[in-house]
Amino acid sequence: MSWSAAFATATITAVLLVSASWSEESKVVIGPRNPDLADGAQELLAGNAKEGVELTLRGLKIAQGKREKEAALSNLCAGYIMIQDLDSALKYCNMLLLSNDRHWRGYNNRALIYVMKKEYEKAEKDLAIGQDINPNARTLKVVKGMLLDATHPVSPNIIIDDRKGKKADAPVEEDS
Amino acid sequence: MMLLTAARCLLLAGVSCVALSSPAAAQGDNRARFTRIIHVEDSTSERTPSVTAAPQYPALARRDRIEGEATVCYTVDKNGRIHKPAVRKSSHRMFAKPSLKAIKQSSYEPLRPDQKASFVKTCRTFRFLLAPVAIEEVE
Repeated sequence: MSWSAAFATATITAVLLVSASWSEESKVVIGPRNPDLADGAQELLAGNAKEGVELTLRGLKIAQGKREKEAALSNLCAGYIMIQDLDSALKYCNMLLLSNDRHWRGYNNRALIYVMKKEYEKAEKDLAIGQDINPNARTLKVVKGMLLDATHPVSPNIIIDDRKGKKADAPVEEDS
Repeated sequence: MMLLTAARCLLLAGVSCVALSSPAAAQGDNRARFTRIIHVEDSTSERTPSVTAAPQYPALARRDRIEGEATVCYTVDKNGRIHKPAVRKSSHRMFAKPSLKAIKQSSYEPLRPDQKASFVKTCRTFRFLLAPVAIEEVE
């Protein structure tokens, strides 16, 4: 399994939790409430995993509210996957899923960790829960494909059939 | 082992089987390198395939373990060139495009001078199958 695939598969929550505050001239200022968290997400999305993790760790310390905290935990899980620190990634994914057991990205990322750690049964379980929460998530399908490649690898065969009037299951016999 | 061996077919009545390599294989695509291509020719046909391009197995279909087939119909002119290829049926839309592309890259032997010049209508079916493989893990 390639790490580039993991890069592409670990889902990252783009954080832009905005807040409005009134200045003296009563202008509305809109920006991220937790700049470290927002910047960390941007770094992760840009593929700068180390910087993203550092910023997100800082953001987690000042995270306010459940949503911000969960975004931080989710991104730390994804970030640590990207820097190949699977144990740390698992720690943050577990924390996330303890906080919110309906977070499909958490299940996606934890399944990816389990695939990489060759703990396939656990990965399958997480994928099933994730797909139950969000059946259309592309990344869940990608991880499922990685799991299948690991557990049930297949080789593509293409039969070019020029026979006239053949049936779909026409016999093309082969040596084993 | 199956991955690396050339395709072998038992000869069936009126049918010849040959192993081909896909164009992508020549380009060093790892996924395509392990694709087995089996060409089942129709010995009753007036025309002999010259270049038979194989489609690539769609990556998404492979990922999601989708098998299927697509049939492309076309005419062949006296020079062996393919005209008006069109997908007649496809079990999944993912298989239509690579099948059509493969047909467009294929051709037939030109007619000999003593043969009657005519357009021949014909169809080719591409079956996309996934075979389980056993990989031995090496520590």
